[in-house]
Amino acid sequence: MNPLVTAFKKGFERSGIKPSRISMPSDVLFEPEVVKDLGVDYFHVTRGRAIAFGTGLKLANPALRVVAVAGDLMTIGGNHFVHGGRRNMEVLVICINNYVYRKIAGKTAPLVTVKFSPYSTFEEPFNIPHLGNSCGAIYTARWTALHIEELAESIAHGLTKRGLAVIEVLVPGPDYYNGIGTWRDELVKFYHENSEKRDGEMPRNVGITGESKIIVGEFTDKEMPPFIDTYNKQLSAVLKDKFTPYGQTNGGQNG
Amino acid sequence: MNANPRDVLSGTHYIDGDVASGFGALAAGCKFIAGYPITPSTEAAEAFARVAYKGNAMFIQMEDELASVSAVVGAVWSGVKSMTITSGPGYSLMMETFGFAAMLETPMVLLNIQRGGPSTGVPTKTGQADIMQSRWGSHGDYEIIAFAPESPQELFDYTVKAFNLAERYRCPVMIMSDECVGHMTEKVVIPAADRIEIEPRRFFKGQPGQYSPFKPDDDLVPPMAKAGDGYNLYISGRAHNDQGMPYTNEEFKLRCIRRLVDKIKKNKEKIIELREENTKDAEVVVVAYGISSRVAVRGIELAREKGIKVGQLRLVTIWPFPDERIAELSQTAKAFVVPEINYGQIAFEVDRCAHGRSNVVLVPHGGAGVHNPDDICDAIEYAVKHKEPLEGVHEYKTRLERKVFEEKMRIAE
Repeated sequence: MNPLVTAFKKGFERSGIKPSRISMPSDVLFEPEVVKDLGVDYFHVTRGRAIAFGTGLKLANPALRVVAVAGDLMTIGGNHFVHGGRRNMEVLVICINNYVYRKIAGKTAPLVTVKFSPYSTFEEPFNIPHLGNSCGAIYTARWTALHIEELAESIAHGLTKRGLAVIEVLVPGPDYYNGIGTWRDELVKFYHENSEKRDGEMPRNVGITGESKIIVGEFTDKEMPPFIDTYNKQLSAVLKDKFTPYGQTNGGQNG
Repeated sequence: MNANPRDVLSGTHYIDGDVASGFGALAAGCKFIAGYPITPSTEAAEAFARVAYKGNAMFIQMEDELASVSAVVGAVWSGVKSMTITSGPGYSLMMETFGFAAMLETPMVLLNIQRGGPSTGVPTKTGQADIMQSRWGSHGDYEIIAFAPESPQELFDYTVKAFNLAERYRCPVMIMSDECVGHMTEKVVIPAADRIEIEPRRFFKGQPGQYSPFKPDDDLVPPMAKAGDGYNLYISGRAHNDQGMPYTNEEFKLRCIRRLVDKIKKNKEKIIELREENTKDAEVVVVAYGISSRVAVRGIELAREKGIKVGQLRLVTIWPFPDERIAELSQTAKAFVVPEINYGQIAFEVDRCAHGRSNVVLVPHGGAGVHNPDDICDAIEYAVKHKEPLEGVHEYKTRLERKVFEEKMRIAE
């Protein structure tokens, strides 16, 4: 099974949250047979819009837990990540770093490092934990497909965070599992030889350079008031008694 | 079902069309609006933001229009009625996700207060040039419903109706208003809540295991479920079968798309709203919508003073298009005159339906203003006098066009 989905399953279980309360908007396509098993509500959305879609899901029903899965999100839709962090929207962002766009192996994506484009690439990839931390994400971590246990722990923890949490996962696309054996071996070996666990490392030091090792671990973990709390605080301050805090009557569900 | 009194700002108001639409959304039971400010639609969002708390609703200013429309689709799937508000450039940005909403059969409302385009165009002034975009703006085949209100009162009424039809047919509904109507201040009467009819969402009532998100009832419309209710939804913008499972097979694609189109087409008669005046024995029928239909009233009066038998057909619903009614009228009327603030969008639809039986005269306008009623009157006169069939849509040269053109000639000389 896809290691990511395995980690999702374990992470959801460990979080103690009922899968039916978890919604998973994703711009990465998961086949139904893979994702149905998780017991969550899955939405395959327009490219780059998983966080924005998740924002709508969460605000319309604050009782939901939202896990937004984003492919190479720092290109299309990167702005939603930036602003999700700024307003501390309660979304757990899983950024899947495939090194290449799924199914079009060889094409340069912004998260690509050297090695996996036919003629290599000369563009610097984003340092996602650092970007997330700068934009206000309250939890940042990175794991690879080899770190299923740690990733599951991170997902379980991220789900309980009240705000935008981001976990970058370096994972080979499903196509690598479907016959390109040499690529799989190469990639797994690559992760094994080239990753180094450094919990608590400053996010600015964890960039993927292609020259040094891939730093994995939980980098930052803090508390900030989430969007709905700040919204309620502000409107209560202005409207006083006229205002019923949002989300405490099960959101807009009574409409 | 009637509106909830807490959502309805009953009374007589003196407000502009934008504000009326914001109040209409609240009355319709809208609980979530995500938007990004853009002239001339901003006041609608402002109005809703100001009163949302009364209905325990939320307004959020997102980072852009792409985020706004995506959040709205998300909110709908969380079970609430939801809308976004925009104009010109923002409208173009929303198109991809709008098609996504159509594919997912998402009941949402989009208010477009049209301004002059293309591109930034004339942000503060009117236009009616997004009409074809509203129909064909996103890639692929789908059908939508669109209204063109002509007054602030109608912006209130048809915002409520847009929500109702969105729920009824489980599809996105557009309100294609324009800057003139949006910024026009008039009396708006908001009735008591028990006088406002609200269509509740049709939720699936069976067991989770039995739910198919796209399995239609007899009326071709599937009931909905919402996230968080244990239905283990698999919802994708890919072509899907009734269970939502993606298929690339052409037969499944056909079934999926056919119903998206048919659920609107086959219910056209129930959806379409038209206003007609003196069309029965009219030699010329003026077909207009939005602000142009109000300007046309004066043009028609002038033509009547000259003894011409003129009728008016006002398109309250623009999409789906009233093909059948235009075809009927083409049996009796000599010609159609279509004033619109663009270089021919609805005029070509009218011509298509008239099928060569009557002439079609377009009174174009480049935007940033409305027609001169004298031009509409002259176009009517031209249409009456011109007995021979015209090839295609005849474009009437307005006074403004002639003036600009002649001035250019003078500069050239």
